[in-house]
Amino acid sequence: MLSGRALWTMLLILCPLVGFSFFQAASLYSEASAAARDQPVLASGLSPLDGVLVPTFGAFYVAVTLLFPFVAIRALGREKETGALRLLVQLPYRISTLIGAKMMAIAVAWLIALIPALSAMAIWALLGGHFHAPETLNLLLGQLLYGLLVGAIALFAAAISESSATAAIITLAVTIGSWVLDFALAGQPGALQWIAALSLTQVLHTFEQGLLSAGLLLGILAAICGFAALAATWLHPGTPLRAKLVRSAVGVAIVAAVLVAATQIRLSTDLAEDRRNSFPAADQRALAGLRAPLLIIVRLAPEDPRYIDLRRNVLSKLERVMPHTAIRLAAAGQSVLGSTSDESYGEIEYSYGGKTAKTRSTSHREALPLLYGLAGQPIPTPIPGEDYPGFPLVTGAARALPWFFGALPLLIIVAWWWSRRAPAIPQGFVKGLIKDGGQP
Amino acid sequence: MMTVSDAIDRGRAIADAPVLMHAAGLAKRYGDQHALADISFAVKSGEVLGLIGPNGAGKTTLLEAIAGLVPVDGGDVLWRGSSLPLSRRREHIFYLPDGLRPWEDQFVARVLRFFAAAYGRPESFVAETIAALGLAPVLRKRVLALSKGFGRRLMLALAFITPHPLLLMDEPFDGFDLRQTREIMGVIRDVARNGRTLVLAIHQLGDAERVCDRFVLLADGRVRGVGTLAALRAQTGQAGLEEVFLALT
Repeated sequence: MLSGRALWTMLLILCPLVGFSFFQAASLYSEASAAARDQPVLASGLSPLDGVLVPTFGAFYVAVTLLFPFVAIRALGREKETGALRLLVQLPYRISTLIGAKMMAIAVAWLIALIPALSAMAIWALLGGHFHAPETLNLLLGQLLYGLLVGAIALFAAAISESSATAAIITLAVTIGSWVLDFALAGQPGALQWIAALSLTQVLHTFEQGLLSAGLLLGILAAICGFAALAATWLHPGTPLRAKLVRSAVGVAIVAAVLVAATQIRLSTDLAEDRRNSFPAADQRALAGLRAPLLIIVRLAPEDPRYIDLRRNVLSKLERVMPHTAIRLAAAGQSVLGSTSDESYGEIEYSYGGKTAKTRSTSHREALPLLYGLAGQPIPTPIPGEDYPGFPLVTGAARALPWFFGALPLLIIVAWWWSRRAPAIPQGFVKGLIKDGGQP
Repeated sequence: MMTVSDAIDRGRAIADAPVLMHAAGLAKRYGDQHALADISFAVKSGEVLGLIGPNGAGKTTLLEAIAGLVPVDGGDVLWRGSSLPLSRRREHIFYLPDGLRPWEDQFVARVLRFFAAAYGRPESFVAETIAALGLAPVLRKRVLALSKGFGRRLMLALAFITPHPLLLMDEPFDGFDLRQTREIMGVIRDVARNGRTLVLAIHQLGDAERVCDRFVLLADGRVRGVGTLAALRAQTGQAGLEEVFLALT
């Protein structure tokens, strides 16, 4: 991959993309921090994860979506185009080993492409910016998995296509199609909601929120392995078509089963420093002690903004802390407009321990006292000092621009030139040359 | 080039040699067209067998079918008398396709080193192959920058570096002038003398006549004749391979 141009070109494009995103994010963060100096209460809203890291990696995400397929396809596409595949499959390695090696190469290419974003993180640290290691590593893990997923799709596309151009069209149809799914279908009811959940961009959202979900992790790994297995199935030109189709069907069935199993796994960890995915610590402890099943009936359409608020503020947090929570959407088949005449529309009904209570609030400040009442428990006293303080930073991010627009691209060009030097000829080969009268 | 007595000795040795690979009834269709129709022939250990036929005769398809790189509709490949499944072909057979320029961005030395490492071949062996094929001047060149002749030499080197007892080569002399062709024929003869078996798909009958011990004549995906030049001459009453081929096809 290093000998081709695709990776180096992507790196050069990433420098200004990531650099400008970082500059904009850090500048806005700095302005907000200046305001927080006068009003300290605003400081708690200043999280480097949301303010700097996610926007900076947003540019990297765009590049991985649109440019990385071309890099990953190269891992196999050129061999198919030049006919070298017929040599490759004759090498004394299993096809799965070959695909594994290609995936490793894609992972290394992704790591190299990460250099501009990593340098942005280093600059943020040099400027005095704050990092919370768990949430930062979680974000990097999400980006890695997304990169590998795009790479595996590209590898599969290259395996089934005769040319790199066709493979690129297939891969971009999936990655850009994901955007369409994400924008057009998110928040839609029923089957559309399920289809929207298949969007690749959904992979990153959870990690960007500082949440490490075991189910999501298993699902993404299954998808990566699934596409890699499909690539291995379709790689060998000597395998009959029927055998390829049967093996593919078996592989898809296995991955689908794992994905379904993954949706049932609720285990997750909130790695965000501001604990945005959890209730306050005192509530977390109290709720963890409630072992009986909790049923929540929500009379809201899935696309209703109030349901989205409720999902984010209450339901997803309750599901994490109380494993026996069941949520039923009573208005799943209705739209927001069609339900306004229904008086019960908007009600959220909590049933715990044989008792039931209703509310229309989507805030945990009202929902949790209701739940404690049903469980016959006192409202826990807040633990002092647990509030997220925020990490404001007033800084001049413009100082980073020469790095992204000058020094880093120059270094990349030098590294490119260096990688294109002729290699040293092995000592044993040189002996042969001397015998043959040639020049090493 | 071989002397007459060398050729007679070699002919006797090959006649006594055991069958290494047997293509048994190989068939391949593309739609209604029969690319291969019930192709059967055997290769003996240590011989150089020429697959002779015009363009479109099915030579490449046949080699790819034997190597397991194209699915067949019927037939089998036997190795020393036993069926050789698709998954085990690469253990015994190496196929060098025609017109290949793989890993264009890489340097020649790097490609050779990669192949040698993959097959665990010592550097001294690679050095001998480099010397035999005259690849020394281009070791630090990229594959993309090689002339057609050096590109072909590199491909031959890759095939010779592999340890497989049977080498299938598609048009191994393509891209060489007369002098170079004779030089490469000598190298191929040396390889066969060292115990390896070669099946060469050749459409230049003059080249085939000079380098091959036996011939399989192909036309329209069918075998039209099998045997040594002497046997084919006796069968057709013709003098040269060209005349024999025209008489049989």
